[in-house]
Amino acid sequence: MKTPETRYARSGDIRIAYQVVGNGPTDLVFIPGFMSNLELHWEDPGYSHLLHRLAAFTRVIQFDKRGTGLSDRVDAHHLPDLATRIEDVHAVMDAAGSGRAVLLGASEGAPMAILFAATYPQRTRALVLYGAYAHFHSSVMGAKDVEAFIQQIETSWGNGSSVLSFAPDQARDEHFKDWWARYERMSVSPSAAIALTRMNAAIDVRPILRSVHVPTLVIHRSDDVRISCAGARHLAQEIENAQFVELPGRDHPIWTGDVDRIANEIEEFLTGARPQTDQDRLLAVIMVARLAAPLQPGLFRSDSQWSERVDHLQQTARETIDRHHGKTITVENDHVRAWFDSPTRAIRCALALRDNADFLGFSLSVGVHAGEITVRNDRAFGAALYVADCIAALAGRDEILVSAIVGDLAGACGLHFIERAMEQFDGIDMPVHILAVMAEQHLEPLRRRIKAPDLHVLTSREREVLGLVAEGLSNPAIARRLQLSDHTVKRHVANILLKLDLPTRAAAAAISAKQ
Amino acid sequence: MSTSTMEVTGAALKSAIESRNGRMLASFYADDAMLRVIDRNNPPSRPREIRGQPAIATFFDDICSRAMTHEVATSVAEGNHLAFTQACAYPDGAKVFCLAMVELSGGKIARQTIVQAWDE
Repeated sequence: MKTPETRYARSGDIRIAYQVVGNGPTDLVFIPGFMSNLELHWEDPGYSHLLHRLAAFTRVIQFDKRGTGLSDRVDAHHLPDLATRIEDVHAVMDAAGSGRAVLLGASEGAPMAILFAATYPQRTRALVLYGAYAHFHSSVMGAKDVEAFIQQIETSWGNGSSVLSFAPDQARDEHFKDWWARYERMSVSPSAAIALTRMNAAIDVRPILRSVHVPTLVIHRSDDVRISCAGARHLAQEIENAQFVELPGRDHPIWTGDVDRIANEIEEFLTGARPQTDQDRLLAVIMVARLAAPLQPGLFRSDSQWSERVDHLQQTARETIDRHHGKTITVENDHVRAWFDSPTRAIRCALALRDNADFLGFSLSVGVHAGEITVRNDRAFGAALYVADCIAALAGRDEILVSAIVGDLAGACGLHFIERAMEQFDGIDMPVHILAVMAEQHLEPLRRRIKAPDLHVLTSREREVLGLVAEGLSNPAIARRLQLSDHTVKRHVANILLKLDLPTRAAAAAISAKQ
Repeated sequence: MSTSTMEVTGAALKSAIESRNGRMLASFYADDAMLRVIDRNNPPSRPREIRGQPAIATFFDDICSRAMTHEVATSVAEGNHLAFTQACAYPDGAKVFCLAMVELSGGKIARQTIVQAWDE
């Protein structure tokens, strides 16, 4: 999607970059934490989802604080204090025509929002504080830890390793880590990061908490790795009539983890209405591809060679899924999960992944299943995912197994299936009927067929079906004639083609006619 | 200042909107009025609904706190229905355009649907 236009507000001699998203009745000024970059926010699915959620009921005004992101740089050795920074909020609100706004202060943005609300109550409609603190040293880190963090900035700023200190649950996601590294580099320089850390370490707004007299909501994750939950609870107790909501989780950034829970709390606080909860439920086809084994023992002579191939496989997997209009759920060292809006796309993607893996010397086992899933924040949940995992676990090397519902939905798409088994998976009420996907044959074999296929390999029922195929009957017509289901006839025809190694039913009809 | 007796007409709506008089606007609505907003973030299958006069008063109070211009250009009246267009601009140049359909009952607005688009 097109990102919103970045505009600039004048705050004294400094220009502050801001964006406006949505046009809800209430203005919401989003005061970010330690670092930000307006344009990079849109590249992270969690961040953009949060902004879209908020923009459904407010007009979101987000900005980069002076010295960060797209705003003017300032002398890292003479950073502005909090009082100067709240004038930047003022300037952005004026430029955007906001008379009064809800202030959403996240992390270091929270003390700034508190100071603004105490200084300009007439321009503050309400306060929402997330991952907040009033006193840095008691809630975030002590003096010794500050020096250790600064040392970490000295040695590794820009490579994304700080993600572990902020969002450990995201650290396994390579895409997120890459994004986080760029986020570091494009939000603040290393010198500014050190100076901001020292400045933030001096924050203590405890004396003004009782001067806040606007409706306030404080949201905090129970196990926030960065900021103490007890500190946030105390902060909420000190602000007149503040509501405190504790949510599960340990990742600190507001745009990570269960973003919808946070957006729901904010929406209910501001509008009085709980948002609908079934909007993110959809019918999807889930594909799970597991790395089975290298094609030949000893194919990879070193761990690095193995690791390079796996990296390449993961990268091509994402591209292949995108090309088939799928959404990647997870890409790990030993498996890939994705969902699609069509069974044919899911299976064709599985075939392409299998070819890619084969090229790289691996074999894959793939399971495909269709069912309802919940998609939140670009992450998917649901029993259908578990069933797809179980089917993938059943698949042998290079095998693609699908549930019968996928085979039925795929219909006349040129794919062929053969019966495999009925399986009962733990925790699932009904047994699942499993089919195997057959390789397609678009072209006749290059060499001439020496021997005509032997019809004795067919069962008597299959020979009966073949005879009716030779008469030119369609599957439904054969089904009526033999009093079978369409589905069963389709399976018989697929088995006939497989056993006779023939590409089409017309070829099968010709063989039958000859014999 | 009591504003509750003013008749709801195209001219009265235009005057209240253009002067950003939220209290006047709120007084035009029946106690159980419903305001529906349809836009990119609130599609037709899930419009945003603001129900009841107090919630509608808060809605207009918020909108009228913005330092922006509003111009009601066209209004059409037919029986118990009023329709009008509204062109708005923020100080940084961003524009908003709305179409509103109003249904009157007992001299008050009972239902209103707003369809809006804006610069982003």
